Amino acid sequence: MRAEQKKKLAVYTATGCRACEQGILDLNYQVSEIGRFADPVFWPYVLGTPWEALQDGVDVALFSGAIRTEADRQAALKLREKSQLMVAVGACAAFGGLPGLADLGGGAEAPAAAAAGGAAEEDKPTLPGIEPQTLCLSQVVKVDYVVPGCPPTQNLLWAAVLALVCRGESPARLSYAAARLPEPVAEAMASGMLPPRGTTFAGEKAVCGSCSRVKEEKKFGTVKRPYQEYQETGRCLLEQGLICQGVATQEGCGGICTGVGVPCRGCFGKAPAIFDPGTKMVSAISSTFDSKDAKEISGLVDNFVDLAGTFYRYSLPAQCSLLATPDQSSETDKGCDRCRG
Amino acid sequence: MSRVTLDALRWQEQPAQATVTVNGGAPHVYFQITAPRDVAAMCQGRPVEELPRILPILSPAHHLCAAQALDRLFGVEPPPVAKNMREALRLALFVRHHLRKFYFLVSSVEHPFTDFWSQDARRGSHSLRPLLDDLMRHGSLAQEAAIILGGRADHPVTAIAGGVSRALREEHHPRLAEIAEACRSCAERLAGFLRESVFPEGKVLGELRGLAAGPLASLTAAPEGDGLVLRDARGAEMERFAAAAVFDKVDLHREPWSHEPFAFLKAKGWQGLGATPAEGLFFVGPLARLNGGVALATPLAEAERQRLVEAIGPFPRFEVVAAYWALLVELLSAAEGLVALCQVEKLTGPVLRTIPKAPGREGHAALESPQGLICHHFRADERGLVEEVRVLDTATANNGLFGIVAQRAVEASLAQKRPWEETKKRIELSLLAY
Repeated sequence: MRAEQKKKLAVYTATGCRACEQGILDLNYQVSEIGRFADPVFWPYVLGTPWEALQDGVDVALFSGAIRTEADRQAALKLREKSQLMVAVGACAAFGGLPGLADLGGGAEAPAAAAAGGAAEEDKPTLPGIEPQTLCLSQVVKVDYVVPGCPPTQNLLWAAVLALVCRGESPARLSYAAARLPEPVAEAMASGMLPPRGTTFAGEKAVCGSCSRVKEEKKFGTVKRPYQEYQETGRCLLEQGLICQGVATQEGCGGICTGVGVPCRGCFGKAPAIFDPGTKMVSAISSTFDSKDAKEISGLVDNFVDLAGTFYRYSLPAQCSLLATPDQSSETDKGCDRCRG
Repeated sequence: MSRVTLDALRWQEQPAQATVTVNGGAPHVYFQITAPRDVAAMCQGRPVEELPRILPILSPAHHLCAAQALDRLFGVEPPPVAKNMREALRLALFVRHHLRKFYFLVSSVEHPFTDFWSQDARRGSHSLRPLLDDLMRHGSLAQEAAIILGGRADHPVTAIAGGVSRALREEHHPRLAEIAEACRSCAERLAGFLRESVFPEGKVLGELRGLAAGPLASLTAAPEGDGLVLRDARGAEMERFAAAAVFDKVDLHREPWSHEPFAFLKAKGWQGLGATPAEGLFFVGPLARLNGGVALATPLAEAERQRLVEAIGPFPRFEVVAAYWALLVELLSAAEGLVALCQVEKLTGPVLRTIPKAPGREGHAALESPQGLICHHFRADERGLVEEVRVLDTATANNGLFGIVAQRAVEASLAQKRPWEETKKRIELSLLAY
């Protein structure tokens, strides 16, 4: 592919870890050919690109990390302005992620100057101010696509890059990724069209749908915590009394965590048919209590701890209906036409 | 006063920039971490057994350190097979991390996204392309090993209180052995390149080769047991103390211009970054580990360590070239360790975890991660909910070192009237080594 035909790619991380960016780099390790399809014109972590070098006409911006500082907000606004497609990569950008969890604990580690909005001693540099609460990307700018996960799995990340950056350039590699995506996305990928705007690169059902563990009868007779004894393989973790969020979480990871014997914590966000993952979990668990005795049920309930920190582990800013701020992606703007490919 | 901000610094695990101010005299460099992490707030109120799934936001090895702290908190000893699986994961993370550093080093010469199939690229010289491909491929293999052992590579999940969450499958054993052998071979090939093209004077590192971070004290985990060893800037052992006492010995200083605090030795007090010698500061990481001057257990790594001593002198060393060399020594050591550990009998056993009987109240751990020493201290209430989490991460421990390295790199560059772009590259290449 000639240089002028390549898609211009921007990659950026706001507040979070580097795991998502690392995932994109690892993708390059594995396929060794991102350079064939894309021209990474802005990637501070790998290329050290300064903001002044960010030009108009970026085709795809892969944005990871949550919005925690004014600099994060400005970065989101600048990349949105310069880019045709804005993709939230990873749980932090998609739903607020683990940084959002700090809001439950007060988020008090920021230096005083940053907390005060950047005022500092003379001669010394300042820090960008801290946002009053952690936000996900779509609460600040319109987001075209979402690649969830903490970090996103390689097959879905690759599927997103194929669909948005490569656009059918490599059909031989599509089948594996396409098989794990909703039909309209897979069809769009195969035909080189852009998937419908708002697409989440994940499955259509809940994690339970692809979890390999044996489901028998959901009855909550006891509550267990992961440090206690349970069957690491075999039977459904929720049926064993462990809080496992597979029932409320969007499928797509293939049940990585439950497959290695630890409960799902919802890093893919809520499943599409669910309004609020916390209420879904409360409903799913309470409806299967194996008792009709009020005292017994009260005893069971007492054993549940830290429900907010568990049910909204990765999604407090975006998916907790009591706390979430409005989403910018619902606004109608020029992005809709662009995304029709 | 003039001020220049060099943003963004490449290859840093947190968003970072260097701000240089000149006010008549020598330049003053501020190495700034520009995004908060707030891990203590994230952990507050969570069930303590969840910490190995939250703290890897700092780096993957925090998963293992948190699991070790849980072992102590719950008062359980993991079975040997679980210990081996955790250690194999730690070594796989070492290989992945160190290979990535060398990938970045090579990509400072050879653009990492060159489309070598295109006509434009074929016209240029790409002598390092095969090496870059080799590093990429083996980085991905090390990642595969980490996924097999940890469930995920970046945020692993398999280490739990008292052991690991599941056994390896039959097909994992030959694959892990194959990956370990491949990574060892890759490390040997890389060693040949580094000895020829990076470590000698005037090669890839140029004038950066002699730039030094020290002299600084170093803090490392003791070879055996639960202790930590503090060595002075001459490499002599100053103190040995239990990992549980680390926060009695180390305190954190905050500056309003960085989100990352600076770790310093309480006994010496905070003396600022400009103090010479910087007695209150210490550093952690590959070079700090080698500065103990202790022979290594594996033959390739020990031979490389000897080459380092013959080429640039005995430990302790603080130069950039020594830091890169220390990364190579550790890469070889980790790959050899992985080969030795990835045998069916060492990673197979009937018991994978010791089941805790009840929640405990306090746990601590120290672990040598690829980036350097990390320490955790957890305190929980009677229901096992986190009351306090204290973490000493390498970014905090080495924050003072990074500030000193950035300062010296800028001073040297400005003295030679180099452009800011080159100054930025010098800072990046210097920091990458540590």
